[in-house]
Amino acid sequence: MRLERFLVNAGKTLAVVMILLWSLFPIIFIISSSFKPGREIFAVPPQWLFAPTFDHYVTLWQRWSIFFQGLFNSTIVTIGAASIAVIASTCAGYVYSRTSSRFLNASLVFLIAVRLIPPIVVTLPLFPIVNNLGLADTHFVLSVLYATFFVSLGTVLMRTFIDQIPRELDEAASMDGATMPVILWKVITPLAAPGILAVAVFVVVFAWNEFLFAFIFTSTRAKTAPLVISEMIGSIEGVDWGVLFAASTVQLLPVLLFVMAMNRYLVAGLTSGATKG
Amino acid sequence: MKTSSLWRMMPLLAPTQLLLISVIVIPSIYVVWLSFHASTYGQAATFVGIENYIRVLGDPGFHSALWNTVVLVVVAVHLELLIALGMALLFNSGLWGRRFLLVAVLAPYAVSEVVAVAMWRFLFDQGVGPITVLLNALGLPALEWSYEPSHAMIMIAVLTIWMHLPFTFVILYAARLALPSDLYEAARIDGATRLQSFRRVTMPLLGPAILVALLFRYIFAFRMFSEVWLLTGGGPARTTEVVAVYLYQEAFTYSAFGPASATAWIMVAVSMLLASGYILLLRRQVKNAA
Amino acid sequence: MSYETAFRLNRRTFLGGAVSGLALMAAGPAFAQGKTLQVLSHRVHQTSLGEGDADMLAAWKAENNADVMFTTLDSNPLMDRLFREASLAQTDFSVGYMVDNRPTSENATLFEDLRAYQDADPIEDFDDIAPGLVQGMTIDGRLIGIPVRTATQGLFYNEELLADAGFDGPAKTLEELVEQCVAISAKGRATGMILASDLAVFPVMFARAFGGDYISQDFTLLPDPAAMEKALTVLADMFSRGALPRSYATNKGEELLTWMQQGRAAYSVLPFARMGQLADPALTEYAGKIKVTAFPGSETLAADTAMSSVVEAWAMTIPANAVDKELAWSYIKEVSSRKNTLGMALNGNGPARVSTFLDPELTSKNDFAHIESEVLANARGAFPPFGEAARAQQLFLEEVQLTVLGRKSPADAVAAIQSRIQPLLPA
Repeated sequence: MRLERFLVNAGKTLAVVMILLWSLFPIIFIISSSFKPGREIFAVPPQWLFAPTFDHYVTLWQRWSIFFQGLFNSTIVTIGAASIAVIASTCAGYVYSRTSSRFLNASLVFLIAVRLIPPIVVTLPLFPIVNNLGLADTHFVLSVLYATFFVSLGTVLMRTFIDQIPRELDEAASMDGATMPVILWKVITPLAAPGILAVAVFVVVFAWNEFLFAFIFTSTRAKTAPLVISEMIGSIEGVDWGVLFAASTVQLLPVLLFVMAMNRYLVAGLTSGATKG
Repeated sequence: MKTSSLWRMMPLLAPTQLLLISVIVIPSIYVVWLSFHASTYGQAATFVGIENYIRVLGDPGFHSALWNTVVLVVVAVHLELLIALGMALLFNSGLWGRRFLLVAVLAPYAVSEVVAVAMWRFLFDQGVGPITVLLNALGLPALEWSYEPSHAMIMIAVLTIWMHLPFTFVILYAARLALPSDLYEAARIDGATRLQSFRRVTMPLLGPAILVALLFRYIFAFRMFSEVWLLTGGGPARTTEVVAVYLYQEAFTYSAFGPASATAWIMVAVSMLLASGYILLLRRQVKNAA
Repeated sequence: MSYETAFRLNRRTFLGGAVSGLALMAAGPAFAQGKTLQVLSHRVHQTSLGEGDADMLAAWKAENNADVMFTTLDSNPLMDRLFREASLAQTDFSVGYMVDNRPTSENATLFEDLRAYQDADPIEDFDDIAPGLVQGMTIDGRLIGIPVRTATQGLFYNEELLADAGFDGPAKTLEELVEQCVAISAKGRATGMILASDLAVFPVMFARAFGGDYISQDFTLLPDPAAMEKALTVLADMFSRGALPRSYATNKGEELLTWMQQGRAAYSVLPFARMGQLADPALTEYAGKIKVTAFPGSETLAADTAMSSVVEAWAMTIPANAVDKELAWSYIKEVSSRKNTLGMALNGNGPARVSTFLDPELTSKNDFAHIESEVLANARGAFPPFGEAARAQQLFLEEVQLTVLGRKSPADAVAAIQSRIQPLLPA
């Protein structure tokens, strides 16, 4: 019995170590390598103790100023996308939570079904349309695209969260003569904050990291950080791996810390979004 | 509520629906039109009927892209599900530092495809990659992903699993947490072994969550683009090309908008097919909720 | 798990964030302000103009109060991007570098006819620019690009690695080359040869070593199928005997330089002009040991037939939808001057001006100028331009890769190349 217990515990510990290695090793490796002097990145076996250097960050700053412009663009696009998605899905989520009709049910199915169209499908026709509207290579177009591909999930999420807010609160406000936008703004929004955060986490992570749309719809003015990194992968000459790792670290850390801080909202969003609709 | 109040709520519904209609629905319909025409840069579209569809469906390149996609979806998604299920049960069995572990498991979710590709390319670099070096030192064969198509597929599958495991795991873990513990209590009193209670209690009750996770991942894995494009570019010798990469090449490398649009609609059709089960499920839930 | 409202978001904070986000978005496009000329090119075009203190455009920039911003990509993605940009309602790229095997009657209409610009504000001594190259950029009577770079392929070798394996000089025939590469790989210090698998250039060179070709200038596909079969046999043989790296199928054009700089390969096929980056001690510890010569023909090649190397030319174009065409032409004119053509040549750019090859300043600096001009005399493009050239190249490379990796016999690959590419050729 004691042996069995020991074995079970040993097995669990081993499994936990494997899980940690699998999830974190690549990330830690990239981050630590970005502080290694050029040649030590390739050292065999990998060096875990080394004198950290900021050389690669200096090179990144001097030679790849475009990367920092990419970060700036990513920030704008991400804030824009999150704002649009949050506002649109809070409004729609409220409607779906508080009313129901045959039409609304059908439109909810439509909402989800549309989301099944792979994004790459719409790149082809959107490309000339976006151009003719003079919107190519703008932050606006990326924000709208990213928001659109998350309003479905966002709406379903917000509906779930708003469902948990007692209707009595709206009704009481309504008795006091508050109009619907006022109710939504003054009563619902504050109480649905966790839902709003959950939606925001998804959109932020997606918009910050997205590659395909950025690849097709931007060229110089709105080029995002992931795109600059992909160009760095393509034009690497030998020992530049260090610079690439430095750029990856700078791009990765903010959103990694954000996800870690917001993990409970992410989990809440994933579970209610996936299981409820 | 009454219809009149529904109309009053329309402005609230409008932003979401407008976004979806203008960004996804209308362009998709335009793709249908394009798919029946031949066009390229500097050339007006001419109607060609279903020729584009015939051409794509008859192209061996498309067949292999479709086959590769199916293989990746089937292998990667199911493996991912098994790992996620194992992890969910492990987490549920009581672990020290669960909160921290959960955050660690979620970490890959924050990593962009581009950075993930840079990571894994370096780790598995055939000359200097640390994992390659380690495997060689242990006398094990390394992944020759630029030579062996099967190894390249393994690389892509590993990358996909790494990036999406957090998603599948969270869904299954949450579902497992929601199972009432008195059921297990009852099973234990009835003298069920761990294995029996897993088979008789856990599996049937987790069924819906597993199904949801699977469908989600089928649909998303089917449209996989960046992983393949950035990792292998479809090589060696186009043996790892997937449908989305095929579409990109037709559209933006060969500037053949007709066949590209036909490919796009074939993708939509397959996605819908994959999803029809999910939609049925959803409709039932909407009905129940109503 | 409980995700109750442990956290209550302050509504005002949220609104503030959203509003400032939207405000930033509106202000966004103003980021890249000022007079900036956007150029879409390969990295090599940027480096040959010099950077930092050695910037050859410094005076031009000051005079025009303009800055030049390059966006650089590898060859194939660069062409995808250029045509996509040119098809827009408007593009920020006022100058795009185009390779000579891509313009066709259809896509040439997307670019300005530069003849009018040349008549109004002529480039210095325009007739000095190789007439054949100018001809290649004249589509349906419209001059769409000003030639700026010739990339003639030569055989680069690392003397130290050769000596290490007991060879005192580069191979004189293709057969000898193969044996040397095999021996060098067997020695274990470096791979015999590094080639890229994403460009038609390399299999075309091998086919020409046997007197064959991929697509001739008059659009004959595989004018000598037996020669192509021999070429593929040699490549597959090199791969199976370790003379090419195992990673062959994913090696891209950009990587060749890195492999040579790091001494990971003894031989490679690169444009002569790349010597600049292979002779610079700051970039490689093998500076001075890396040499270049002509790519050898097979010993079976008839004595009176010269090995025809591949030459690729790049030209500067102005997309018809560009924002600042005047500034673009001013840039093109400046880059094309005699002085800058020489300056770029000294930085390792294959010149487009005939006179530059003979310039004493260049010939005294590089001892291979005479080899390059001899090779150039017999060289021609990898394949002529046509509408489906990109697709044809992809199919060709797919068959080549399958053969080299040993998944298809050379004979089957040749048959497949014929049946798959023939329908794509212009009638």
